[in-house]
Amino acid sequence: MKITVKCFSQVKYALETDELSLELNPGQTTADVEERVRQRAGKKLDGVLLRTAVNRIYVKEPRDLEDGDEVAFIPPVQGG
Amino acid sequence: MIITPNELQQWVKEGRSFQTIDIRTEEQRQEFPLSALEPVASSVDALPSTNGQPLVLVCQFGVVTEGIILERELDNAYSLLGGALAWEALQTEKEDLSRWSRQTALPELGIAGQIKLNGARIAVVGLGGLGCPAASILAAAGVGSLQLIDGDRVELSNLHRQPLYGSDDIGSRKVTAAARRLGTQYDQVILETVPETLVSGNAKEHLNGADVIIDATDTIRARLVIDRASRVLGIPMVYGGLYRFEGQVAVLNHHGSPGYRDLFPEPPASGEACAEAGILGMLPGIIGNIQALEAVKLIAGIEPTLAGRLLIYDGLSHNTTIMDISTKE
Repeated sequence: MKITVKCFSQVKYALETDELSLELNPGQTTADVEERVRQRAGKKLDGVLLRTAVNRIYVKEPRDLEDGDEVAFIPPVQGG
Repeated sequence: MIITPNELQQWVKEGRSFQTIDIRTEEQRQEFPLSALEPVASSVDALPSTNGQPLVLVCQFGVVTEGIILERELDNAYSLLGGALAWEALQTEKEDLSRWSRQTALPELGIAGQIKLNGARIAVVGLGGLGCPAASILAAAGVGSLQLIDGDRVELSNLHRQPLYGSDDIGSRKVTAAARRLGTQYDQVILETVPETLVSGNAKEHLNGADVIIDATDTIRARLVIDRASRVLGIPMVYGGLYRFEGQVAVLNHHGSPGYRDLFPEPPASGEACAEAGILGMLPGIIGNIQALEAVKLIAGIEPTLAGRLLIYDGLSHNTTIMDISTKE
């Protein structure tokens, strides 16, 4: 199945894109997607807390995904 | 030409000779009859002659009459600023609200919303990139009292994104310089300055009594301090944050909506401030104004707000994404 990853702030700069398309195996969760995003970013997201949203709704625990889902990773932003 | 309700009141008191022309519908005239002005009802197309008397044109909000005078190049004619609603407010509230007539014309705000704004007290925590535009537009909007809280001093590198300050302010307390500038521009706002950094030991004391808190700080630790005080005091907090071209806004702790600790529960090991990440001044200008807009909506009771939602604005693509953060799962 295929999902879309929306990248915000540091994630966008670490992956050098604001959107990714990923092929997942059935049963894979948001935690698996986060792992792949962190691997792809190298060390750039080490120590960066990421909050997850599925289809623009925050999820606090890892969630099973379905074909076509949109997963977003949102780091806290410090500036003001 | 324009005449304010206060000035017109003065004309009445002085017994000056003038003719009021009321161009409103019958229904509107019955609701607010303007009796002290002894108006003549007239359609826009058949304005009566006045034998040299000044003409005061009145419509509901003061916008249509201004247009008529300009368009027809009428001499010796005045448009009542804020229209019948501002005149009525002067009679009932003893306050001339006409300077806000372009916003009270919004049905969502109206005179009732403006009166709430005039009586409101907003705490702005952080007078940097977000705090400058937020405080400025809130003072302009007629918020009664602003509490400016920041322990920092103005630096040269602040000036490109913090337009309340100029070169002369470098080295001054931000709150002092901001209050000086705002006080000059907006004479009706009460400004209170707190030249301290908000920490858990003083947050509740300083924020107590505010109707809304604007979180315009630049560290996550400070946001968590405000969040705790906001939750304990039951005062909603309008959070704003920035990273390069991206900004975030949310209304937190409003009637049980999530707080900052639900959004981002722990201070991170990393996360760059504007100084390290880089920032163009327009971005905090946009985000600070969105925060101020949410504050005005909260005070005037205008729905919907960003309570339970996180807005993410991207200044490169201009895409706006709104996340639902109200989930308990």
